Amino acid sequence: MSSAGKVIKCKAAVLWGLKQPFSIEEVEVAPPKACEVRIKILATGICRTDEHAISGAMTTKFPVIVGHEATGVVESIGEGVTSVKPGDKVIPLCVPQCGICSNCLKPDSNYCDMLDIVGKGVLSDGTSRFTCKGKPVYHYMNTSTFTEYTVVRDVAVAKIDAAAPPEKACLFGCAFTTGYGAAINTAKVTPGSTCAVFGLGGVGLSVIIGCKIAGASRIIGVDINPRKFEKAKAVGATECVNPKDHTKPISEVLKEMTGDSVRYTFEVTGNLDTMIDALASCHKNCGMSVVVGDPPASSVLTFDPMLVFDGRTWKGCIFGGWKPVNDLPKLVSDFMAKKFNLDELVTHILPFDKIEEGFNLLKKGESIRTVLTFQH
Amino acid sequence: MSTAGKVIKCKAAVLWGPKQPFSIEEVEVATPKAYEVRIKIIATGICRTDDHAIKGILLANFPVILGHEGAGIVESIGEGVTTVKPGDKVIPLCLPQCGKCSSCINPNGNFCVKADITGRGVLSDGTSRFTCKGKPVYHFSSTSTFTEYTVVEEIAVTKIDASAPLEKVCLIGCGFSTGYGAAMKTAKVTPGSTCVVFGLGGVGLSVIIGCKVAGATRIIGVDLNKDKFEKAKAVGATECISPKDYTKPISEVLKEMTGDSVGYTFEAVGRLETMTDALASCHMSYGTSVIVGLPPSATMCTYDPMLLFTGRTWKGSTFGGWKSKDDLPKIVTDFLAKKFDFDELITHVLPFNEIEEGFNLLYKGESIRAVLVM
Repeated sequence: MSSAGKVIKCKAAVLWGLKQPFSIEEVEVAPPKACEVRIKILATGICRTDEHAISGAMTTKFPVIVGHEATGVVESIGEGVTSVKPGDKVIPLCVPQCGICSNCLKPDSNYCDMLDIVGKGVLSDGTSRFTCKGKPVYHYMNTSTFTEYTVVRDVAVAKIDAAAPPEKACLFGCAFTTGYGAAINTAKVTPGSTCAVFGLGGVGLSVIIGCKIAGASRIIGVDINPRKFEKAKAVGATECVNPKDHTKPISEVLKEMTGDSVRYTFEVTGNLDTMIDALASCHKNCGMSVVVGDPPASSVLTFDPMLVFDGRTWKGCIFGGWKPVNDLPKLVSDFMAKKFNLDELVTHILPFDKIEEGFNLLKKGESIRTVLTFQH
Repeated sequence: MSTAGKVIKCKAAVLWGPKQPFSIEEVEVATPKAYEVRIKIIATGICRTDDHAIKGILLANFPVILGHEGAGIVESIGEGVTTVKPGDKVIPLCLPQCGKCSSCINPNGNFCVKADITGRGVLSDGTSRFTCKGKPVYHFSSTSTFTEYTVVEEIAVTKIDASAPLEKVCLIGCGFSTGYGAAMKTAKVTPGSTCVVFGLGGVGLSVIIGCKVAGATRIIGVDLNKDKFEKAKAVGATECISPKDYTKPISEVLKEMTGDSVGYTFEAVGRLETMTDALASCHMSYGTSVIVGLPPSATMCTYDPMLLFTGRTWKGSTFGGWKSKDDLPKIVTDFLAKKFDFDELITHVLPFNEIEEGFNLLYKGESIRAVLVM
C-alpha cells in the first residue's frame, strides 16, 4: 500500500540535546511539500562531522536528526519535482546545488546559497518535516539520514546508478567525494609530486586515493594514531609518519624526509594546530595546503603570516569542489566502472539500532567508516 | 681612467643605527671577488621596505647601506662572471636567482634560497665590500643601492635592454615588478573579473596596472588616505573607497558594492588586520586573496578559519612571483614596447643627497615613488 501523501511513522535516532546519546524513537515524517523529496534511507555512514554536532563543535539546534552521508530510494515527491521520481536510487546532498544562485552559476564555485552548516535545521518554508513525541525535530545539513525516512529539498538530492550498492555508494554522500575532490579538483595534484595527508580517517584515505589517481609519486600519511597506517598504505600511501614519534615539528620532519619537496598537503582533521602544521609542511614558495577538515565553529586561528607571504597557497574546499547534482552521478558511475575501490574505507557494517556502537568505534579510532543499514 | 681592479671611494647614504637619519659619507667599495659584480648605480627608488629596515621592523645589521630598487651600469666583474660585462645596463636583484635551489628549479617557484631575509648583509664569503671610517658596512637585501657604487653577486644582477631609461626602470627592481606580478603571475587575474587592491602606494598602483593589463573590468582601490585615489584612477582603478567612510566592515561594503563578485583581492600594505580584511573581501567560494605587503617581523596573524574553509584561496607573493634574473629583462622589454606605463608612480626625482627629503615625502604620504639620481 503506497505511503505517498501520508505521514510515515518510522524509526529515527534522535538527539535530544548537546552531548547526549542517541535515542532510537518513533518519529513522524510528513509528506514532502512542493519541491521536496521523501527518501527511504537504505544505508548511512557515520562521519566525524556528525560527532561535531553532538559535541557542539558544529552548531545545531535540538532535538535533531543528524547523519548526512547516505544512499536511499525516493519514496514520494512533492509538487514541482522533476529531477527525481519515486523508485530512483539517490544520494541526499549535504552540499546542495540549486543551480540558480550566484555560486551555482559560477563554474568554480560550489557553495550553494542553500547550504546549511550553521544549524538552521528547517526546510525552505522555515519548518521541519519531523516530529517526535509531539515536538518538531530539526533537520541537519539539508539531509538528516539517521532515520528510516527523511525529507529533503529537491536541490539536495542526486540520482545515481540504480545498481550502485547502497552500503558503499553512501560514501559519495560525504567522505569519498570530499577527500577525492580535494586532491583532484582543489589541489589539482600533479603527476610525480609529493603529497602529505594529515588525518587518516575516511576523508583522509579518500584524499590519498585522489592523490594516487592524480599520479603523485610519494604520498605520506600523517596521523597520531598508528593503527591508521595499514589502511592508508593499502589505499596508496607510500609511507606514514606519526608526529608523536618525533620531538621536532612535523613540518621539519617532512622537509627532511623529502628533501623539502612536499608540494601538496591536506588537513583532514578539522584541528586548528594541524591546519598550521599542514601549511608549514608544504614547500614555502611553491607549496599548496588544502583545508579539508571543518574547523570548530566560532574558532579563531593564529599563525605566522610569513608562512603564506613566502609564496605558499592556502585553500579551503567544500565537498571536494564538486558541483554535487552534476558530478556525484559521474563519480558513482566511475566507481561502478572500478576506477577506484572503496572497500578499505568501509570497516564496519551495523544495523541501524547499533548507531551508538558505531559512534564508539569512531571515538576509539577503531573504524574508518561504519555504515548503518536499515532492515525495511 | 679605468677603476677596474681598484678600490673605489664614493658617496653612500650610510645608516649607522636603527631609527637614525642617513649620513652621506665617503665609503670605500672593494673590487668584486669571484662571481661578483660591481655596479655604478644611476638611479634608485625609495621603497617602504627600506623604511622597515630603518625602523627595525625588518632585520638588518648596522651600519648598513640600504636601498634595493636600483638600476645601473656594470663597472667591473669578478672572476667567473659570464652573464654580464662592463658597460651593460643592469638591475640588481633584491631577490636573487641562483638557479639551483628547490624554488629556482620549480617552474612556479621564485623564493631563491640565497635571498637575504635575515639581514645578514654580507656576500657569500661572509664579508662585506663596503667600509666607512675604517669599519665594515653591511649590505642590504643582496643589493644596497643608496650608494654610487655597489657590489652584488652574479646571481643578484640581471642585464637589461641597453636603451632602457634607468631613472624609470629602477622601479622594476622592486615596486613595479612586485605589484604587477602579484596580479599577472600569482593571482593570474582573469579578463572580466572584479579586483580589489588594499593599499595604494607604489606596489598597490602596480597591482592595479597588472589587473588592468590582465583585463579585469572592475578594479577597486582601497586606502585610508583619499589623496591616493587620483593616481589609482589614473593607472586604472575604476573606483576608490576609504574604510573611514563606513561603519560596517570593508568586506561587507565591497560585497554590497559588487553584488558579491570580488574574484581577487590584494593586500599591498603589510598590515595583519588588512590581510584578514582582504581575505574576507574576496568571494567565499572562488575568491583569491594575495598577500603582497611584507608582514611585520615576528608577528602572528589571527583570523577565522571558516573564511578559508568555504573555498577561498590565500596566497603569498614574493617579488610578484617572478624568477628575477629570467623575468625582469622581459618586463623591461615590455615597458619599452609600451605594454604598460608607470610614469604615474614616479612622483619625485631628487638628487641623491636629498635622500632624507625623499623619505620624508614617503612618511608624509606625499610621494608614491621618489627616485634618487646619482
